[in-house]
Amino acid sequence: MTDFQHNHLRQRIERILPTVVKPGRYVGGELNQVIKDWESVRTHLALVFPDIYDLGHSNLGLAILYDLLNQRSDVLAERAYSPWIDMEAALREADIPLFSLESKRPLSEFDIIGVSLPYETLFTNFLNILDLSQIPIFSKDRGDHHPLIIAGGQSVYNPEPVAPFVDAFVIGEGEEAMLDVVDVHQAWVSANQTRGELLIHLAEIPGVYVPSLYQVDYAPDGTPLPVTPLHLAASVPVTKRIMAELPQPLTKFLVPNVEVVQERVNIEIMRGCTRGCRFCHAGMVNRPIRERPLEEILESLRAGLDQTGYEEVSLLSLSSSDYTEIVPLIESLRELLCERQVNISLPSLRIESFSEPLMDQLQTLSPGGGFTLAPEAGTERLRNIINKPISDQELMETVRSIFEHGWNSIKLYFMIGHPQETMEDVAAIAELSKTILQEGKRIVGGRARLHVGVSTFIPKPHTPFQWATFDHTQSIEAKLALLHDGLHGSKIKMTWNDPQASLLEAWLSRGDRRMANVIYHAWQNGARFDAWSEHFNIDLWRQAFEQAQLDPDFYTKRAKDLDETLPWDHINAGVRKSFLQRDYKWSLEGQIRPDCRQNCYACGILSDFSELRLTAPNGGWKCP
Amino acid sequence: MTQQENITRIRVEYTKGPSLRFTGHLDMQRLWERLLRRTGLPIRYSQGFHPRARLNLASALPLGFISQSELLDFWMDQPRPLDEIHQKLADNAPAGLIIRSVQVIDLSEDALQVQMKASEFTVRFFETQSQDLLEQKVSEILSSDEIIRKRRKKTYDLRPLIIDLQAEPLEDGQVGLSMHLRAEEGATGRPDEVLDQMGYTNTDYIVSRTALTLENG
Repeated sequence: MTDFQHNHLRQRIERILPTVVKPGRYVGGELNQVIKDWESVRTHLALVFPDIYDLGHSNLGLAILYDLLNQRSDVLAERAYSPWIDMEAALREADIPLFSLESKRPLSEFDIIGVSLPYETLFTNFLNILDLSQIPIFSKDRGDHHPLIIAGGQSVYNPEPVAPFVDAFVIGEGEEAMLDVVDVHQAWVSANQTRGELLIHLAEIPGVYVPSLYQVDYAPDGTPLPVTPLHLAASVPVTKRIMAELPQPLTKFLVPNVEVVQERVNIEIMRGCTRGCRFCHAGMVNRPIRERPLEEILESLRAGLDQTGYEEVSLLSLSSSDYTEIVPLIESLRELLCERQVNISLPSLRIESFSEPLMDQLQTLSPGGGFTLAPEAGTERLRNIINKPISDQELMETVRSIFEHGWNSIKLYFMIGHPQETMEDVAAIAELSKTILQEGKRIVGGRARLHVGVSTFIPKPHTPFQWATFDHTQSIEAKLALLHDGLHGSKIKMTWNDPQASLLEAWLSRGDRRMANVIYHAWQNGARFDAWSEHFNIDLWRQAFEQAQLDPDFYTKRAKDLDETLPWDHINAGVRKSFLQRDYKWSLEGQIRPDCRQNCYACGILSDFSELRLTAPNGGWKCP
Repeated sequence: MTQQENITRIRVEYTKGPSLRFTGHLDMQRLWERLLRRTGLPIRYSQGFHPRARLNLASALPLGFISQSELLDFWMDQPRPLDEIHQKLADNAPAGLIIRSVQVIDLSEDALQVQMKASEFTVRFFETQSQDLLEQKVSEILSSDEIIRKRRKKTYDLRPLIIDLQAEPLEDGQVGLSMHLRAEEGATGRPDEVLDQMGYTNTDYIVSRTALTLENG
């Protein structure tokens, strides 16, 4: 694009902006944004979050990559998000291609587009972004002059459903892998080779999966056969990429000029979780545990506040109360709170790791607010099956302690739909909740509030439940009705996930490569913003299954054979299939597997990454 | 404890450039609060669990407008040299926000919104306009005794809110408009209303505020 064309495009963008809702989503210009001279930089990379700016802005993973990539003088990283429905219409009407926020260049002019896919309901938006960028949807239709499409994020531990749309996946942690991708791309440009050769070089990077280098066939019963690599560079399995220690924390957050969902200094205090809840995808794929040193957390929070002026900080991890130095950490946070007049949020506190000293410290941080706990199941029996072994007594003691320490409001998360769940287990959720509210009333009186959030169990890949079935919609609805009846008149507020939305998530997370056709048809039928209840329409998806001639029930209603090939078997998330098989069998026997910080159960992480562990600083990993 | 006599009121004049064009009034307040936090100056905060910096913007600028002259007051618990304040504000400002001047204001002065009398604007059109046609439209407006319009279900007369309106050449040689509109509480003229009356929609132009007139100014 010449300067003249580029200026013309900027002007055309400027003129449609006043016609759309919240145009500030599309202009960039935030504090700490990085602008580089296009011509003088070797590699142009666009980082894309396929939902609106308001949500994507807060994504810590992309923010880290933006900072890291822009630290390289030979790389320019810019951002793009999904346009909202009105902006999409305006862009299509004016034939304006989707552009980056910083330089307002069409995405098709970038060398590499990195797309974050943390959850499956972004898939149609991802396709829509390619289409709005005038880039071919299918990898096979792209030529040498098209950008390289890279995808990463938690959902791509099963990359197959989106494999035909993506040139290369980064499996696992992207901080180092993306830099390798840039290096390989630069070498490829210098060598003046074909796109096919680029893909082969990419496949040689640890943790990078190039789906076009693998052939997938299916047995007569529809189950996949083991993949066939089509090139020497295509390894089986592709093992995820991890960092020996957590990367330097981000402090230079972009401060938005319009309101977005989360505006705060985020810091990851710990990566991974050893609790081994059997339904938890994040707990299985993010091993091992790496903690950030206390001093580093505090320093970077101060630096982050200096650079943003934010009023809030949030500490991220899968299980904050498992952080070794949690009590000293909260003590230091209280000092920070007084010094800087900021609010502090500390999500993901676990019932098992509660203690009086912890409660005493927490009380000083945020008295009066709400407290969230996730017992997940109503009975001890079912909690053992899902390996979240909390006794009713332990739960009641925790709840009592929360109310006694000055909180009035508690939110409890529960999950329904596990194959071993009975109607008694569901009824117990209502009974337990009512008992808890009563206890609250006894301690704090009429101010006591209880909110129950109910989600649907999804048997996710790379978890011990990957062989299990997803519950029938009628059954989920019957369970929700039972909960409504059980809580009726109790003044307990209940919210729940749309069972149809959970069904879509189950299809997409468990799909094989044939699922891509379903996604493609659903997008063509008009599906987008599937994560938004006002836009999600299951009928578009049912129609897409018919168009793709696939049976949706095949993916959710059939218990998989323990020995069958799974669509994601060639992706090694660090936890072995044999370990998951054993854990699944244990679950059927109601046998629990304790926290593996005490005793190693050989999940596979240590044998796969033994050399990497040697490079980690002392005590960096919490494996025994 | 802060000594009452140390409390200082500071007035800032600043620009709102194209990259802040779609940052609304409430978002500007949040933007300023964070800017003030970043300076490390002894900003005066409200009490309570969610302390807010005390600040006061003169006049809301409609979404999509840019400005060469916006005014804001904020308070500090201790005085600081003006050039230090100016430098720290400038160092911590986002793109598009340029600090034009900083001065100390008497604590007893009325709030900025109360002091507002009028605003001046220039209008730049995306497409080249004919000077004759523009002048004709201007004189139609100015010769009207009343211009009854409806905004947010309320009927009002736009004419007395227009102090002056002129077609005039801009720096790039194109012909644009200059407007001088009343901006008192309950009697504020909006440039987009004048432009709509002249037959233009918000995709035809960009409006820039050039000056604010205060009661004592």
